[in-house]
Amino acid sequence: MRPIAIALLCSATLLAQQTVAPTPDVNVSARGQDWSGYNIVGSLETGYRFATVGGNYAQYQSMVNFQDGIRLLSGYLSMTSKDGHGKYFDELLITTAGLGNDPYENAMLRIAKNGLYRYDMTWRRNDYVNPGLVTGGANDGHFLDTQYDMQDHDLTLFPQSNLKFFLGYSSTAQSGPALSSIQIESGGAIYPLFENVSRQQHEYRVGNEFRLLGFRVNWMHGWQDFKEDTPYSQTGSSALTEFQRNEPYHGTSPYWRVMLFRDLKNFSVNGRFTYTGGNRDFIFDETSISPNRIGAQQNQQVLSFGDAKRPVATGNLTVSWFPVSKLTVTNSTAVYSVRTEGDSSFLQYDNATQAVNYLSYQYLGIRTVSNETDLNYQALSWLGFSGGFQYSNRLIRSDQVFTVGGSPAGSPYDQTDQQRSGTVGIRLRPYKGLTVLLNGEIGTDDHPLTPAAGKTYHALNGKVQYRNKKFSLTANAQSNYRFTPVSLSAYSSESRTYSVSGSYTPNEWLTFDAGYSRLHIYSLGGIAYFENLQLVQGESSLYLSNINAINFGARFALKRRGELYLGYNSVQDVGDGRSTPDGAGIASPNPVFQAIQTFPVTFQSPMARLSIRLQERLRWNFGYQYYGYREKFYSAQDYRASTGYSSLTWSF
Amino acid sequence: MTCRLILAAICLCPVPSWAAIEYVGSNVCKTCHPDIWVRFYKNPHFKSIAMGQEPPERTGCEGCHGPGQAHVKAPSKATIVAFSQLPAEKILDNCLTCHSQSITRANIRRSSHTLNGLVCTGCHSIHKSTAPKFLLASRQTDLCYGCHQDVRSQFSMPFKHRVNEGFMQCTDCHNPHGAFMPTWRMAARPRMVEQALANEEPCLKCHPEKRGPFVFEHAPVRVDGCETCHQPHGSTNSRLLRRPVVFTLCLECHNGAGNFGLQGSGEPTQTASHNMADPRFQNCTACHVRIHGSNTDATFLR
Repeated sequence: MRPIAIALLCSATLLAQQTVAPTPDVNVSARGQDWSGYNIVGSLETGYRFATVGGNYAQYQSMVNFQDGIRLLSGYLSMTSKDGHGKYFDELLITTAGLGNDPYENAMLRIAKNGLYRYDMTWRRNDYVNPGLVTGGANDGHFLDTQYDMQDHDLTLFPQSNLKFFLGYSSTAQSGPALSSIQIESGGAIYPLFENVSRQQHEYRVGNEFRLLGFRVNWMHGWQDFKEDTPYSQTGSSALTEFQRNEPYHGTSPYWRVMLFRDLKNFSVNGRFTYTGGNRDFIFDETSISPNRIGAQQNQQVLSFGDAKRPVATGNLTVSWFPVSKLTVTNSTAVYSVRTEGDSSFLQYDNATQAVNYLSYQYLGIRTVSNETDLNYQALSWLGFSGGFQYSNRLIRSDQVFTVGGSPAGSPYDQTDQQRSGTVGIRLRPYKGLTVLLNGEIGTDDHPLTPAAGKTYHALNGKVQYRNKKFSLTANAQSNYRFTPVSLSAYSSESRTYSVSGSYTPNEWLTFDAGYSRLHIYSLGGIAYFENLQLVQGESSLYLSNINAINFGARFALKRRGELYLGYNSVQDVGDGRSTPDGAGIASPNPVFQAIQTFPVTFQSPMARLSIRLQERLRWNFGYQYYGYREKFYSAQDYRASTGYSSLTWSF
Repeated sequence: MTCRLILAAICLCPVPSWAAIEYVGSNVCKTCHPDIWVRFYKNPHFKSIAMGQEPPERTGCEGCHGPGQAHVKAPSKATIVAFSQLPAEKILDNCLTCHSQSITRANIRRSSHTLNGLVCTGCHSIHKSTAPKFLLASRQTDLCYGCHQDVRSQFSMPFKHRVNEGFMQCTDCHNPHGAFMPTWRMAARPRMVEQALANEEPCLKCHPEKRGPFVFEHAPVRVDGCETCHQPHGSTNSRLLRRPVVFTLCLECHNGAGNFGLQGSGEPTQTASHNMADPRFQNCTACHVRIHGSNTDATFLR
């Protein structure tokens, strides 16, 4: 047992350590103090985080964003009743990370009393920065420096009984300054637009679970309210002499969800049915004065108001039959029906031309029925098979009838798509610890909505995994091919992924892990575009990406006094090997498309962390992590950053 | 009703059943397994003992390991339900005895994990969990990355969702126990994706402004989902886009070819006023700012 425990502890310290702090605490489960019928375990890590950045600071903020300052890097508190009969609670669990202005902060709370209640809370905050740059080096005009706040609260009453009650609340809020763009006149100048983003969503839910006629019934009713009250103002352009916009957008989505379960000896059935009635009310009021394409001042008013409704009904029914443990047959049916409808009026008045445009509502309805049967058979202890067949039928009804200056355009249109797909898989366990998995899938669509959705596809996947108490090795290969033949142009894409990873724990004080992936993407899509008023057809857009990703980590325990961790992470897209953005002469001959066929880039991040035990309950930690981002063709967005921290961990 | 009365009479019969005789209770188990018992009060399964209301076959050690009388008489893995000796399908059956009737596990028998032989004990360590919740064998990302190295690489890319930073977890978007069929992309793929309200893509849990409804929906968003344009895990392209620049992404669909699009006459091409030789027209979203949906403009300009 002991080696297994050591392996578990060591693996917990090593894998997936991509950020240098907080310091992972591996000994939490082993400590604890008893007090008044409870066992209490806790730790706090606080210290100073530093960061120095060279190069494109905005790009650093977009990808990493650690800043200088004092942080509560992590916190952990657990109180557990030893007899399961605590006075007010039997379990209290609190975890925190990044508090004190890290860009990724979160906290989690669970408090529960056996048989009476359980309350779970999570809170998260993310400083989300987008510098408005795209990878080709161009400026896309959309800048964001916002903060996301998310929280979830769930209370369950009588969680161990057959009669449960649920109460819940969730919210998401995004706020902060942003820059967008606006084009007053079609084909005219583009102006910057300042936004002070203000979006909020609140969800309230109540539910219940009980038994009835042998079925377990679970239902929930909720209300999800969304509102956006972002103020807009023109900025930085003298050409746009006057601008004003108000655009409140509020709505609610009440929903019902009912679920039924029934288990018999060799048979189980469950069903889920939901109905959601989405509604959004909006007003768009905009006035502007700007020069038009010939330089004359143009006064334009746009007024739009109305409401949009989107009721959604879904149903899922799953029946499983398992006559013996070795065989399971599952049939699942799903129905999805959504329609978008409502009323709206749109008025655009141009003082110069005195033209008035009026638009009525569009309609979009989607109905999908899908049925899938899966079979899972363990023929021998070392040999198993799986297979399945799925049929899906989708009806899309769209009505793009709208009036422009009183004349209707477009017409209602229905289209049906049928997809048939099959899967097959084999599992081999030739001897203990070794697993071989082979899977394949093939499918056809007769009427996809877009060329990129693909008319035919197939996927192959193979995995070999070996694990014992000290060593694990996994190798994986998968390929996905998607192809759409069309009359004027074709779309095809292929992706192949090869990966291998392993870890080795020879003893209690030493652990290694490493991984390598090769991700290959090659896609060719038919395009049509205008250049100097000439329509260009019959060309293709090529995108080629060859990514090599490496990760390595080593952990050394220093005679129980300390711990050293060294890690390295690198992602490199080598593209097709070209040295300049100029194309290699394949696909579209247009230099505009040749220059963006591939995008070589390197992103690497070595790190080191040292943790020294000062006293029984006190540790000193120090860590350093370097981030380097370099684009091969465009250097303006490159950056390099040194981040790190020094902290103390107090455990009890 | 008659059948129920007979059943009730049988259940109320004072003579103990054979099953009750074979159960010895957790107090007997701790005699030889003190290392497990000493920490068992921290295990969620301890509730079955603390509550004292469950029958022997659903209580404490024997709730999972079966009746222990034979094991007490002849201690060996052959005389008890030892999970280390069980085939995968038996482990799944044992756990589902109590854990099947849950929304999150409604699709476990048809999940990709089950079909590939990965069952409960592949991720959960009942007696030696090192994670604060759900008896996970280790941190959630470690468990997932252990088999999905390619996904780990995607989360190491320059543009990614913040999983490695601890801000998100895999289960924010995925259900490792299997999910209902998606309501986008012909209900076939992706599998194992946990759905948001109205069975929508999980992306909308954190990006509610993209949900709508809008007067003018960008149909592929609603029909085929966010993955039409974005790579959800990570990308070397900004905004998790599938292409380095946005105009190729748009033009690959909007080429007027075939019977695609809402009107079945091909996705509409640009108008002649778009001159791709002019850099201003190479950034589609500079003008089409409401590309996910608009209430005032059919071409998403406002």
